[in-house]
Amino acid sequence: MAKENLSVWTSIPFWRRSAAWVTGFAVILLIWLTFDTMGQISMGTDEDLKNGVDKRVPAATVINYNIDYQMSKKRGHEVPVIGKKEPFFGKEWSGEEAAALLHLGKLTSQAKNCMNCHTLLGNGAYYAPDLTKAWIDPMWKDGGPMQGMTGKSTKEEAMAEFLMNPSQYPTHARMMPNLGITADEAKGLVAFLKHMSSIDTNGFPRNFSKTVEQFKAGGTNAH
Amino acid sequence: MLFEPFTDVVPSFFGWLNQGPLTLTIFLHTVIILPMFWIYFQEKKKLQGK
Repeated sequence: MAKENLSVWTSIPFWRRSAAWVTGFAVILLIWLTFDTMGQISMGTDEDLKNGVDKRVPAATVINYNIDYQMSKKRGHEVPVIGKKEPFFGKEWSGEEAAALLHLGKLTSQAKNCMNCHTLLGNGAYYAPDLTKAWIDPMWKDGGPMQGMTGKSTKEEAMAEFLMNPSQYPTHARMMPNLGITADEAKGLVAFLKHMSSIDTNGFPRNFSKTVEQFKAGGTNAH
Repeated sequence: MLFEPFTDVVPSFFGWLNQGPLTLTIFLHTVIILPMFWIYFQEKKKLQGK
């Protein structure tokens, strides 16, 4: 008689065991994912750059290389392509110098709270343009409007000049305020932005800096 | 296509699972739910044995 009224759904041990299983599985999964992510986001080395080893996050010395953005048919989105060496602020930076410059840039980006308006690697705001791929934004390229406006002949100098005097240069409908960024800090920020653009973000941000016409034509900013 | 060739930069088990729409979700739910059937029938047996 008792057997007919048996219900596992009202049995406390069943729910206790199920909860223990799901919680235990999730804990192990999260620990595994943590290590998996750490492997993905660990910075590459200068040797990787020299040997052409693809790392999601390249070494700081990537600032010594040309960074292009090309459509990858295989992956279905644009990927940063690290090319030939090019001077950055007129010189080649050693591993230590590049790391120190990048660190200064990172600290400056935090001190000036860039994320209060901009987005960096998916974090921040969309009040101002997404800076994840700012270095490869066509507006800064040779012969582009920003180099002309700032009167500089290289991308890095134009960016640094803009960062030091942002309120002088009309860029977007909402102009950037002057944040009192020094010349050294500006250099660091430019290095920080260049390095960030070289990070493989699986095509994020989507349709970066494309015009409506380019988007309709299925075009890219690959150049 | 549910399964596509792996195209990520850094090879990873989760990256491979996540190449198609919902593939990671479907896999994880299956892995979590299936042992619960086993728990269910074990508990049922225990209750019937009482």
